[in-house]
Amino acid sequence: MEPQTKRWKGSACDADSWVAFPVLSDQQSQDVELVEAFAAPIVDKKETSRLLRELNAVRPLNGLQHVKRVRAVRGSGGPHPLEVLVCLVSDAPDLKVVSIDDLLPPDGVQRDGLGEPFVVKVPARPPLTRPQFELASKHWPTSFHEDKQVTVALRGELFGPLRKARMSAYMAAALTAAETGAALGMEAVGAVAVDPASERIVAVGHDCSGDRPLHHAVMVCIDLVAQSQGGGCYSFDRYPACRFTPQTSGTFGGTEASSQPYICTGYDLYVTREPCVMCAMALVHSRIGRVFYGTSSADGAMGTKYKIHSKKDLNHHFEVYKGVLGKQCEELGGLGRPRQKTRAH
Amino acid sequence: MGTEEGRKADSEESFYPSEKDIEKWMSCAFDMAKDALQNGEVPVGCLMVYADEVVGKGRNEVNETKNATRHAEMVALDQLLDWCRRGNLEVSGVCQQTALYVTVEPCVMCAAALRLLHIPVVAYGCRNERFGGCGSVLDVSSAHLPETGTAFKCVPGHRAEEAVEMLKSFYKQENPNGDQNSSLLLISILRVCLIFHLVLSLKHFSTPSSCT
Repeated sequence: MEPQTKRWKGSACDADSWVAFPVLSDQQSQDVELVEAFAAPIVDKKETSRLLRELNAVRPLNGLQHVKRVRAVRGSGGPHPLEVLVCLVSDAPDLKVVSIDDLLPPDGVQRDGLGEPFVVKVPARPPLTRPQFELASKHWPTSFHEDKQVTVALRGELFGPLRKARMSAYMAAALTAAETGAALGMEAVGAVAVDPASERIVAVGHDCSGDRPLHHAVMVCIDLVAQSQGGGCYSFDRYPACRFTPQTSGTFGGTEASSQPYICTGYDLYVTREPCVMCAMALVHSRIGRVFYGTSSADGAMGTKYKIHSKKDLNHHFEVYKGVLGKQCEELGGLGRPRQKTRAH
Repeated sequence: MGTEEGRKADSEESFYPSEKDIEKWMSCAFDMAKDALQNGEVPVGCLMVYADEVVGKGRNEVNETKNATRHAEMVALDQLLDWCRRGNLEVSGVCQQTALYVTVEPCVMCAAALRLLHIPVVAYGCRNERFGGCGSVLDVSSAHLPETGTAFKCVPGHRAEEAVEMLKSFYKQENPNGDQNSSLLLISILRVCLIFHLVLSLKHFSTPSSCT
């Protein structure tokens, strides 16, 4: 595979030429859902803490712990600098025009200091990402427990230049494998399994579906990882670009049994194209550590049609990033067997 | 093999086994599962039938291959492909006339594999709450996935309780300490969770001769 590798070295695969963005769960990437509530101005600021205490007691905002009860009305210079949430619209009697007395029980909250209510929109769920937080806060102040890594990843800044250079090299190996496979009449897809702890390439595979219809690059790679551990069930001898690095057993004498690799646990997978449903679920079963792919695919199961890596009902979840050498991976699309040929006539 | 009017849009003569065929081959799959249970192995039966002939018969091979994708269905599909190769038959032609009979709902991966090969019908016993690809976790069998083969028809619920019971008994005999105290609700919940994990990732079962 050496000659073809050259094409992917140097400036063509410059780590500056791409950005990897995380493929987040639906919960993390969806729009901010809003719910209507009644708010009222606090006309006497000195009553604020009492009002809060009493409102929390008689009208707790169940399920909206992320919403702040009071907001400061900024810069308006208006008469009332603070506003408080009285209750959710859904908790109030169905009235066209409401007064504060319609919203609160006769006892429990002294009306002193409360103005007439009006409808506002508040975020229905706690924001999970900074973009969600910023959108939510435009409607009503909201608390946010920030996952800093997600914030940095969404800016495309999670991986520094050195890391990106390594990632480029792994994806370049997948690209080379994809081209080798395409030259043999296979679909132009390549995959590389990496042990991030040792920064060692464990297995390299390409699509072999022209030979066996289910031998997608990821499935090939998973079996090659098994072979590196003394297992596996296929022979890829006919495809020299499909290869693995055998496990060096007992590297330093005292290696414990627990450090023995178990299927793909802790490994990273680099694949030129977003995995299909079969391959995505195969990676769940294989307990893959992280997946990096170059370009999206029409029926892809890690962002396009499904997000199998973040599916709540499944027992294994992992991070997925897309865009590694995205342009080069996209250009592979023109190579190899056209996809239609795999379909029944 | 009897054919009825199927619901598949893209093939003119959709293949569909008769009730009698389903009964017969599911019974065979259950025999496989029972036999496996008696041998202390995961009680799942799985076979692929083409023109009244068993052309693939799978058992879970995850442990011995260290490859987590070696579910019974994937093994059976490989046998089907080998069978086509030996007989010099066109794979897609055979697959479009082949049914899968399995005692537990295929997982998401296996369901996608069945689509990719254009298998038109899957009859199964109980649901697979943890991994099922025919509606339990995702509905891969009927989803709009134009690049992922063809949708297939499911015939679910065949002797479902029996399939679940076998899985439960398997777990009991595997873990004699796990069932001593009937008040241990937690353990029984855990057991249900573990059953499917075991089915799909551990052990194996032998294939009986009665169905060949």
